[in-house]
Amino acid sequence: METLVATAGNTVSQKADHRAGKYLTFQLGNEEFAVQVLRVREIMGIQEITAVPQTPDYVKGVINLRGKVIPVVDLRLKFGLPEIEYTQRTCIIVAQIDNHGTKLLIGIIVDCVSEVLTLQGTDIEDTPDFGSGVETPYLLGMAKTKGKVKILLDIDMVLTSQEVMSLGPIGA
Amino acid sequence: MSQQSDQKTIAVQERPVGAVSANPLAGDPELLSDFILESKEHLTSIELQLLTLDQDPGNADAIHAIFRGFHTIKGMAGFLDLDAVREVSHEVETVLDLARNGTLPITASVIDRILESKDYLNRCLTELESMLETGKAPTAFDNAALIEAIRSLSEGGAKTKTPVPPEPATEGLAELARELSPSEPEPELAAGPCTEIQPENQPENPAATESPEVAKATEAKSGGARSIKVDTGKLDYLVDMVGEMVIAQSLVKHDPDLATGLKPRLARNLSQLARITDDVQRTAMSMRMIPIGQLFQKTGRLVRDLSRKYGKQVDLVLEGEDTELDRNIVEELADPLMHMVRNAIDHGIEMPEDRVRAGKPAAARLTLKAGHQAGHIVIQVSDDGRGLDREKILRKAIEKKLIPPGAGLSDNEIFNLIFQPGFSTAEKVTDVSGRGVGMDVVRKQVQKLRGRVDVSSTRGQGTSFLMKLPLTLAIIDGLVVGVGKHRYIVPIFAVREMLKPAEDAISTVQGVHEMAMVRGALLPVIRLHQRFNVTPRFEKPSESLLIVSESGGRQFCLMVDELIGKQEVVIKSLGETMRNIPGVAGGAILGDGRVGLILDLEGLFGANHSE
Repeated sequence: METLVATAGNTVSQKADHRAGKYLTFQLGNEEFAVQVLRVREIMGIQEITAVPQTPDYVKGVINLRGKVIPVVDLRLKFGLPEIEYTQRTCIIVAQIDNHGTKLLIGIIVDCVSEVLTLQGTDIEDTPDFGSGVETPYLLGMAKTKGKVKILLDIDMVLTSQEVMSLGPIGA
Repeated sequence: MSQQSDQKTIAVQERPVGAVSANPLAGDPELLSDFILESKEHLTSIELQLLTLDQDPGNADAIHAIFRGFHTIKGMAGFLDLDAVREVSHEVETVLDLARNGTLPITASVIDRILESKDYLNRCLTELESMLETGKAPTAFDNAALIEAIRSLSEGGAKTKTPVPPEPATEGLAELARELSPSEPEPELAAGPCTEIQPENQPENPAATESPEVAKATEAKSGGARSIKVDTGKLDYLVDMVGEMVIAQSLVKHDPDLATGLKPRLARNLSQLARITDDVQRTAMSMRMIPIGQLFQKTGRLVRDLSRKYGKQVDLVLEGEDTELDRNIVEELADPLMHMVRNAIDHGIEMPEDRVRAGKPAAARLTLKAGHQAGHIVIQVSDDGRGLDREKILRKAIEKKLIPPGAGLSDNEIFNLIFQPGFSTAEKVTDVSGRGVGMDVVRKQVQKLRGRVDVSSTRGQGTSFLMKLPLTLAIIDGLVVGVGKHRYIVPIFAVREMLKPAEDAISTVQGVHEMAMVRGALLPVIRLHQRFNVTPRFEKPSESLLIVSESGGRQFCLMVDELIGKQEVVIKSLGETMRNIPGVAGGAILGDGRVGLILDLEGLFGANHSE
């Protein structure tokens, strides 16, 4: 994972270099998000999801990905946005996430997928400090292209922070 | 490993100028995992041969075979700079060399020592394995135990030959070993760096001194190799995909578009495809099958150790070792089998004098038998010991409030009480058994494998455990049931019967808990839609379907809307994240390509129970 940065430079640009690369952007409500393209396995239209009991509400269930059973998470619900009806544009992004060394596939439901962007290190800024109490561990940073701000997600953190790992039984 | 690498770096520093630095092969993970795999095989066969040798101390073939095993491990370990492994195998080799020349008689204690060092090597390999997996240095090798083992070995060899005073340090031992085996090259036990040179001259050296039959044997072996090694992960994946192919094939076959106006040619081709997929599936499944003999042979060691420990005489009889079953099942069976064998030797089999007094031969028979029976594998563990004590079990069960006093139980029901957790009739807790965990583990494990275990016993004649297991874990027969718009799969082995209840068959207890009257027995009812929080099609029990099932010896009913059909399904895990959902055992791809959840009835009932 660690890109070796041989050239000397200030820490900010090094970090930015590390984050530079191709991103897949998608929409949730009015906001645009982006994930590293290397993590995306495939994008599929919404399909029938088998609900799994006793899981948090943002876990919509499981789907059959060519014989593999993978969990599907609604990112809207995960981020506390209001739930909307799934439409023709609703997509499932199948992403590979790294959970303490084990790789697993997870489907992420988003409103619609936009495009693939190449972001330079200079396009990317650190996440602004929202003040104390606002933790943003799953934000890699912010990218500004074409006058718009895109939120870069660290997909591992979004989906493996303790909540997702306790996907199992909640309550009793 | 940390110690080792420390040693290595030091050694490298000490090495004269001009030499190659560290062994470039030492850290290669691929070589290392090959080494682990191969050595484990060698160790397994070594153990087998040792047990043979134990029975027949004069068996020269067995000694040769063991020698070869250790020798190969030593060679490879030297190659990979695994000093701890190399040293131990070298010392064992020295002793074996003495035994081969007839200077050291093979006694039980010699075999004990060699078994110990075999165990040690096994531990080393496991450590290495975990190092490869986790990437971090393993916890330090237990060097003290190693030195101890080597010392006793070398002394054992020395006693019969020359009275060399034992020296505490490893270096002294190296000296000793060298003296004992003049045929070994000088730098044999010197520090790390020399191991690089070793592989070149080492294998041929002892081989040359060995009898020609050894060489012949290895030749024959390489010529006769008809199998290849395949990563088990790949194999599992293949079986998985074949399962998918079978489903896809049946999807095509039952496609509504095809059902109308099927032309003969298409029909012919389709059935040809069906035949081929069937064949492929069978072949793929058989690739995962291994004979149970490997597992049985492992108990040989246990029987030997335990019978020596207790001073009991036990003959182990193995039957049906060629019976093949899924590799995964064989692995899972190791524990229950161990518990049953322990139990038999500790509780079942009497001391030799007691046996003679009872008119039985002093040596007891412990039989492990495997065979097929109606699509299942049946494994029987039986002894000819004292049998289960009906009264004692009954007394203990009442004492532990497992059953009410005066309950009229059949012998079979009483004997099956021993599978209850914490149940033990042993007067004293030994380090082998008596804590009442063993039989509980057996039943849990067997149930996990979707099998069942029964015990039967005759007083004074012996006890027999019968395990019935499915042939494979990958596929189950399931009933597809519907609740609302959801579909679930109920494993058939868990289903006792199904019925549509009459209007008045359901009654409530305290207004909450529902009970159904089934064949004169009141059984608790679990509404699946309530458990899983989904909307059912019918609220009225008389319109729904009751599935009668059993969990932990207690029956209950599961209420679903309807029965949709029966299907063989390939079990899929829902993944790490959804591993522990109570009531859900996994997922399966249904005929239409959607995922259906496989119900875990025990979990459903258990969750209900705890509330």
